[in-house]
Amino acid sequence: MASHALGWLALFCYIGAELLAVVTLVAPRPAWPRLTTLAIAAGLALQFADLMHRARALGSVPYRTLGGSVSLFGWLLGIAYLVLLVRHRERAMGAFLIPMIVVATAAGLFLPEASSSGAAAPGTHGSVFALHVTLAMLAYAAFTFSFVLSILYLIQDRQIRQRSTGLLFSRLPALEVIGRMNRTSVTIGLAALVVSLVLGAVWAEVVWTSLADPKVEWAVVTLVVYGFLLWMDRRGWEGPRVAVLSILGFGVVLFSYTIVNLYFSRVHSFR
Amino acid sequence: MNAATDTRLLLLGWNFRTGAVSVRDRIAFSGDEVREALERIRGRGLMSEGVIVATCHRSEIYGVTEESEAGRELTRLISEWRGVDFAEAAQSSFSLEGPEAVRHLFRVAAGLDSMALGESEVLGQIRSALRLARETGTTRAVLHRLFESAVAAGKRARTETEIARHPLSVASIGFELATKVFGEMADQTVLVLGAGETGSLFTQQAAEAGVRDIRIANRSPERAADLARKVGGGTVAWETLEDALPAADLVVGATASPSAVVGRDAVERAMRARRGKPMFFLDLAVPRNVDPSVAEIYNVYAYGMDELEGAAEENRRRRMREVPRVEAILEEELSRFVSWYGNLAVVPTLNDLQRRLAELRDAELERLPPEERDRFRQFADSIAAKLLHQPMRRLKSEPDASRRLDRVEAVRHLFDLDR
Repeated sequence: MASHALGWLALFCYIGAELLAVVTLVAPRPAWPRLTTLAIAAGLALQFADLMHRARALGSVPYRTLGGSVSLFGWLLGIAYLVLLVRHRERAMGAFLIPMIVVATAAGLFLPEASSSGAAAPGTHGSVFALHVTLAMLAYAAFTFSFVLSILYLIQDRQIRQRSTGLLFSRLPALEVIGRMNRTSVTIGLAALVVSLVLGAVWAEVVWTSLADPKVEWAVVTLVVYGFLLWMDRRGWEGPRVAVLSILGFGVVLFSYTIVNLYFSRVHSFR
Repeated sequence: MNAATDTRLLLLGWNFRTGAVSVRDRIAFSGDEVREALERIRGRGLMSEGVIVATCHRSEIYGVTEESEAGRELTRLISEWRGVDFAEAAQSSFSLEGPEAVRHLFRVAAGLDSMALGESEVLGQIRSALRLARETGTTRAVLHRLFESAVAAGKRARTETEIARHPLSVASIGFELATKVFGEMADQTVLVLGAGETGSLFTQQAAEAGVRDIRIANRSPERAADLARKVGGGTVAWETLEDALPAADLVVGATASPSAVVGRDAVERAMRARRGKPMFFLDLAVPRNVDPSVAEIYNVYAYGMDELEGAAEENRRRRMREVPRVEAILEEELSRFVSWYGNLAVVPTLNDLQRRLAELRDAELERLPPEERDRFRQFADSIAAKLLHQPMRRLKSEPDASRRLDRVEAVRHLFDLDR
């Protein structure tokens, strides 16, 4: 495992941010939410430097090694978190969303670093390819948050129905807010996935002259599921049904990111 | 607890825990009577400072006094003025001194002494007690600081613990649940069915919580219009109630109707018109105004009195569990106040002042070459001693204890001795 001092520092920043977020949730103090955001921002800067280091070593976006790919995923989770924070100003969610960033970043530091096939596949350079990979990961990051938000939605819905007005009830935002954040996440995910698919197609036309790959098919399934979710959200499904659909959608994402990459796809693999 | 040897903090009170209701009611002061009482007390020369906390359930007189019989004399004054037998007034009263009086006020401020544990209204009442006394000219350093400390302690208790967090009334719990569905209630439309007592109370509560769009439906349109006018809301004709449902986010049932006035079919139609946007029914009526089965419709939340009573009881228990944490905060604030009060004595203040001057002197001497320091130390000490001689003599010899406290407080403030 190569030395990733910056990656480790980023991880500590994220852990610090999570601790602050949890403490804020239990016993709020005015200054802490800002510190949480600062810690996330510092972590993102450090992790970006670490990713650049990995990218230079591989000669491409760090997608080919499981470690690099998961680390990039963690970084994009952080970016998605900041977008949600700026858009909705709902700091109470930090305690639930930041753990995703922590887990992904930590996994990125522990998972195998070396690429089994050695050299990069032909053509995996250039900005089109880099953007294609990064946007696909951003879509996964956004869908991950949508998944967590949906679970929180169902928990809060259950608490309201059962009239249990305890700590979690009082700290979790209103259903309307969680629903709105979920909508933003899915919208970011869908937009990123569509652009990533288009860029992937452009790039594949150039390099492989063929689009047929199980990964692409599953990406289209993902697109359909989340597109349906957004569509139904405006047509009477707003609420728990949308949350359940988002959880199902995340199942597809997980399958596509792990099983398809590892066993089915020839060109989208950690090799 | 004596700042200067002969002043005491005294509390004499009648509240719902101690007094017979008949005595308490006759003693209870209105706002104007609080002023009059303070003036009478001052006129008698019983106290050098005085503040009266007057609420529905309590009349408590806080004072700084040098008189050993002040409590007894105060009871006599009040009983004569209010036409209550002295023995009865004395028997129904309670009296505390020093730290015990301070602790009591802090407990009142934190809502620990209220009938509804942790209620927040009392904090405002303590603030206005201080304001009234200040306007009447009966507060000075000690009670001013005491009441400011009490308000700070009360605020801390409410922000750092959950003593005031969980609502105790069924209507408030319903409103809180609705807030957790919709987020900002200010932007929601609230439809209140019934303009009777329950409907009026809820309407006012909603208006105070910032709800801008309140609509009232009542069988008699005049009463609906009256209530709507009070809160700047609108009315809905009783016959068109069903048409008004789709626009309503929160519907509150508060009519005396013997049967449900909102049926399941109407809510299903409303939800279709709302395209699934959530709807919340808070039924404060017995029997229910809203068919309880509406809760089975997708995205509809519906609660009746009986369902929310349990939550109210649970919230009472939650507040009870916070009491030890609140008490710990109050003890901290108490010891801070007591230490400030103790420092108001002349001798500690003079000691602090001398220490402060010595610090300043040493800091200045540091900047001199070592061989010159001794000479300048003597020089500085001589100036300091001459400068302080007269003020010290005057502080020590001030005969009026209360004025002495004020001056000591001024010295502490001017020389920043409490930092």
